[in-house]
Amino acid sequence: MLSVQEASLSFGGIHALSELTFEAKQGEITAIIGPNGAGKTSLFNIISGFYKPQAGRVFFQDQDITHARPDKRAALGIARTFQNIALFRGMTVLENIKLGSHSRLKSGLFDSGIYYGAARREEIALRNELERDVIDFLELDHIRNLHVATLPYGLQKRVELARALALQPKVLLLDEPVAGMNREETEDIARFILDIQERWNTTILLVEHDMSMVMDISDQVIVLNFGKQIASGTPKDVQNNPAVIEAYLGTSAKGAA
Amino acid sequence: MGQFSQYVMNGIMNGSVYALIALGIVSIFKSTKVVNFAQGHVIMFGAYFYFTFSVMLPEATFMPDWVLKWEPEWLAAYKEGALMFSPKAAIAGWVNNLPRIILGIIGAVICNGILGLLIERVFMRPLLGQSSFAMILCTIGLIWVLEGSASLIWTADVDQVPPLGPNFPIRFTLFGEQVFFFSASVVNFGLALFLFGLLMLVLRFTRSGVAIRATAEDQSTAYAMGINVPAVFSSAWVIASTTGAFAGAILASRNGLSPTLGLFGLSVLAIVLMGGLDSFLGVLIAAMLVGIFESLTQWQLGGEIAEIVPYVLVLIVIIWRPNGLLGQAEIERI
Amino acid sequence: MIIGEYKTDYGQDEGIWNTWAKKLGFVVALLLLLLIPFIGNDYQLLMAGQIAIFVIAVVGLNVLVGYTGLMSLGHGAFFALGAYTTVALHQFFPHLFPLITLIISMVVAGFFGFLFGLPSLRVKGLYLAVATLSANFIVLFFIRQDWLEHLTGGRGGIETPNAYFFGTELITNQQKYFLIVPIAIVMFLFAQNLFRSRFGRALIAIRDNDHSAEILGISLFNYKLKSFVISAAYCGAAGTLWAYFFPAILPEDFGLNMSITLLICLVAGGMGRSLGPIFGTILILMVPELLKMGAFYFSEGNASAQIYFSPIRDIVFGLMIIGFLIFEPMGLVSIWDRFWRFINRWPFAK
Repeated sequence: MLSVQEASLSFGGIHALSELTFEAKQGEITAIIGPNGAGKTSLFNIISGFYKPQAGRVFFQDQDITHARPDKRAALGIARTFQNIALFRGMTVLENIKLGSHSRLKSGLFDSGIYYGAARREEIALRNELERDVIDFLELDHIRNLHVATLPYGLQKRVELARALALQPKVLLLDEPVAGMNREETEDIARFILDIQERWNTTILLVEHDMSMVMDISDQVIVLNFGKQIASGTPKDVQNNPAVIEAYLGTSAKGAA
Repeated sequence: MGQFSQYVMNGIMNGSVYALIALGIVSIFKSTKVVNFAQGHVIMFGAYFYFTFSVMLPEATFMPDWVLKWEPEWLAAYKEGALMFSPKAAIAGWVNNLPRIILGIIGAVICNGILGLLIERVFMRPLLGQSSFAMILCTIGLIWVLEGSASLIWTADVDQVPPLGPNFPIRFTLFGEQVFFFSASVVNFGLALFLFGLLMLVLRFTRSGVAIRATAEDQSTAYAMGINVPAVFSSAWVIASTTGAFAGAILASRNGLSPTLGLFGLSVLAIVLMGGLDSFLGVLIAAMLVGIFESLTQWQLGGEIAEIVPYVLVLIVIIWRPNGLLGQAEIERI
Repeated sequence: MIIGEYKTDYGQDEGIWNTWAKKLGFVVALLLLLLIPFIGNDYQLLMAGQIAIFVIAVVGLNVLVGYTGLMSLGHGAFFALGAYTTVALHQFFPHLFPLITLIISMVVAGFFGFLFGLPSLRVKGLYLAVATLSANFIVLFFIRQDWLEHLTGGRGGIETPNAYFFGTELITNQQKYFLIVPIAIVMFLFAQNLFRSRFGRALIAIRDNDHSAEILGISLFNYKLKSFVISAAYCGAAGTLWAYFFPAILPEDFGLNMSITLLICLVAGGMGRSLGPIFGTILILMVPELLKMGAFYFSEGNASAQIYFSPIRDIVFGLMIIGFLIFEPMGLVSIWDRFWRFINRWPFAK
């Protein structure tokens, strides 16, 4: 479905990713974990096209997208959220979500400017669809006309998820969706993620530090350290993998001796 | 070939004046992240201040005569028998003017420094924390304020101002052809480079220089480290306006005085972007390149096209290298 | 919130005039515009026409600067291109239908907008401001050239044609008003519509956060360039009407001062707001007139005092732009908003 092959990315002397290879399977939730600076967000950035890897390739549905521009990748159905919220702060929740569906809509300059006719029909159809599939689904109906800048952090994160969902993505990249949230909010988001998977059979990639959530919901876990994959497998396999324990807790006393 | 090198050298001399103007824009940008579109108009004020202190004030009735024309006895002895337009006569003439030149420079530097401080305090400080867009617009507003005030304050017909150095032609042969400059241009060239170098040294080796560089790297960290960031902002404006006073004096003696002097600032802005906003060296190189290209086009294609040379060059350079010749690309993160 | 407004489908919610107050306001404004040519004297109609022309240009600038967040200091150039295209066209086709001239001018200005917009893909903010500034100088340089003098009149300027509307020559300001104002209304509404549907939304997204816009599938290349082209075309249209409205044009009319004036109108009115260009333009174009009256009053008709007029006007303009930036950065529109908020809540809250 989505695979990265031997991708390397470095900034100056720092190797954010070195020869990383992995694959996400259709309809599964793949979690990517690792200590800070392990290259998780860099991996997302080469998948969504914000950075280009210096070596290696990115494939999506057997298509080489290594050099495609980010907007082309969105049109193919790759959506993402950001670690630091990247909403359009001047707009309302509804406008933010509508922007998510940009690449699915058609009306161009003249349709938009004339409005009555094609653009209006499209807007109303879109509004119907978004209200049903996104706003209602993510329980955002009470805030749809508020400006995003006024919302609390947890809701902003949820709006970002809604915006990504409005793309009707085939692959959804979630960069720390529950960072800084309390237990209850975390459970809400986890439930939404599972619902998305179930309802649209979306392939989901997840970067997250909240281990209990990762272990609960993911089908496959990939562990990165220093830009390299050090382990992968089911949550249970990974939990017992000595290399993972070492990366998280440091070298054990026995190993150091 | 001789002709060619003549024009290249003229270009370098003009380029050094551009570099001096650019210095102000870069030092303000480095410390405050504001690009001063009105730098040319600050320089125009410098030119008018120089005029005020070197021409208007010495001519006032309450000033002693020697300020306007200083003629010590040894000078008369030195001057004796000198031919018109000879170096000797020119130097003597320059010494005659020396008191008012010095008065002019000192007055222009002080007044322009105060002007820079005022601009920072009154107009820029309240905008602190707003987008750079707002700050740029504010400096654009300043263009009109300064231009209007200058034509209100200095309504009288303007006179010639004394050049900063003795002015006589220097002739020599190069590649078998006659080449010549005016010595005043050489003095201007030297002065511009000297000021440029001096500021580099100040930034590198003094305490306040380090404060400015730290602020340039990261404003909030500099603040947290106990650097008085608003003071750094003020000093950047003062540096820009005082170096601008010198540039103004040079421009006034070379091109004459008029409110349109401010337009120089815009072509220098093009030069600054060409060199890279945060790189003094890049700006110096760009200033020289533009000076040379301008003088070569003037030679080959006529003076009118030379006017748009900086604008055409900047378009070419920023399409080729978006951050300028030596500017650093920021790594963008999300 | 206006009480008693409820909607029964999404189409109503998506409308521009989605409250009765807005509907009423629009109708009243239209009626007023219809009334002006019959009650105004020649001088007032001159002002009205000038304001309408400027509104078109400022609306165009708003698309680029206010909504897309790209800076331009060169829109005077596109204004000039529109005006000179009109003059040149009428040399070959003296009775060309004004709307055709308008469209050709928009295409020409739009094409140059495309050319000068190319750097916008590589560079941001300030670099763009200087690139467009360069564009302004370069375009005016060519207009002044002797080898184009037969078309442009060179540095001495050129007389401009009048528009022929089905055989009638539009001579008086009243006649011209009926050409200019409807075009201004249509172009204003077009821009207004843009920003409530897909295209305009994408531009605002680029302004707010270009990286996430790109990752949502908005091609920065495509949209930034189109934004440039639209705003240049609007200025081109304004240029055409300018050429029809005034008896002659000079290259200097369209220099940096024009570009900055357009920006000031936008800042004073409110960037990125649909009513901003209208409020801003009216204010900024009225200020010199008020100053003129004031200067006349204080100097008691003394001609020697008149030389102070232009520097004082410059200073007032400069201080106004700075004052707006410091005290009312969102422009007159935010005063307007506060006023309506007050009305809506009164008497329950202030």
